[in-house]
Amino acid sequence: MTRRQTILLLLACLTVSLICVVYPIYVIRPFRAQGARELAMALLVMRWRTVATVLSGIAALAALALYWRAQPRRWPRALAAAGAVFVCLLGVLARVNIYELMFHPDDRPSFAPALQAKLDKDEKVIAVKIGDAARAYPIRNISYHHVMNDVLGQVGVVATY
Amino acid sequence: MWSRDIAGLRLTFHLAGINNQNFIMRDEQTGTYWQQISGKAISGPLTGRQLTPIHSDELTFATWKSEEPQGSVLRDVSRYAANYAPKDWDVRMRRAPTVIDFREHGLKARDLMLGIQAFGASRAFPYEQVIREKLVKDRVGAEPVLLAVGPDGQSVRAFHDRIPGVNGAPDFYRRPDGVLMDAATGSEWNFRGCAVSGKAKGVCLEPVEMLKDYWFDWRNYNPSTTIYGTK
Repeated sequence: MTRRQTILLLLACLTVSLICVVYPIYVIRPFRAQGARELAMALLVMRWRTVATVLSGIAALAALALYWRAQPRRWPRALAAAGAVFVCLLGVLARVNIYELMFHPDDRPSFAPALQAKLDKDEKVIAVKIGDAARAYPIRNISYHHVMNDVLGQVGVVATY
Repeated sequence: MWSRDIAGLRLTFHLAGINNQNFIMRDEQTGTYWQQISGKAISGPLTGRQLTPIHSDELTFATWKSEEPQGSVLRDVSRYAANYAPKDWDVRMRRAPTVIDFREHGLKARDLMLGIQAFGASRAFPYEQVIREKLVKDRVGAEPVLLAVGPDGQSVRAFHDRIPGVNGAPDFYRRPDGVLMDAATGSEWNFRGCAVSGKAKGVCLEPVEMLKDYWFDWRNYNPSTTIYGTK
């Protein structure tokens, strides 16, 4: 592989990783209307970006190694190394769920008996009953976490708001 | 409220994105993306599948506790409780901008609606109007429905407006003291839709799933919806 080809490979990796991170953020961001096609594309990118960014990272590091051997000058080497590190960094960013950074999930929900719960009487709850098991999800709480995975009776339920 | 059990799996959902201000969930097990309001898989291995709805009610805590004193309540996560919205979140959010709008029937994007998708049709009831009227008798598709406001003046439940085992229309009405009655059997009914006295004692009405939602969101996912109180 020539020097020029290794640089092109590195740039291709950078482009792929940038698209994987930036495009879904651009499309799926609050207070912006989402079109059906762009949303489908953004979700497709999100589904495959783990694989895509890992492969990009590996390819970028390989390209850097080849370039390093072929390029004796310090500054071009440093620039290529920065590019490869950035590709790897984008691979890490692609694994971050921004929405769960903003609205932390409640992975270990705990529950209080109705008679001991300290809620205002006019506070709204989402109420569900399966068999004899009755549960209330205060809206104040689930309008923050948004998604609550639970098991009621023997049934797995998800309360959403 | 949805069942997490589908295709022989118990899915664990995560908040994963937003689609015109209705959020998207991703399940850990298959990586499928699901739309919150519809429970439909929109991208991934389970695309096209539909989560099973679980009946739920939006009630005041006092009403729920009086009905379910043995029930349990989700506790706050103390680390994040300071970030929780005040208790009238849905009313405060009415000031927030929307990215889509349907200027129909004189409704504003964030007017609160009670939406019913049943009997092959969609119908939305303006929440404030239902609260004012206290008892609404209407139809969704060809079926009669009853919307009843609870004793707290805020909670609303919907029922199929037919008494199981009784022919004809029950003709529900509110007594001056607010108790729900029906003319067909002369029975008294509680807010759960169960007869507590009279000929129908022990009989319960069939509940109808209802969602409190903003107009823009309801209309976006129910394009053929009709509106109570408009022609």
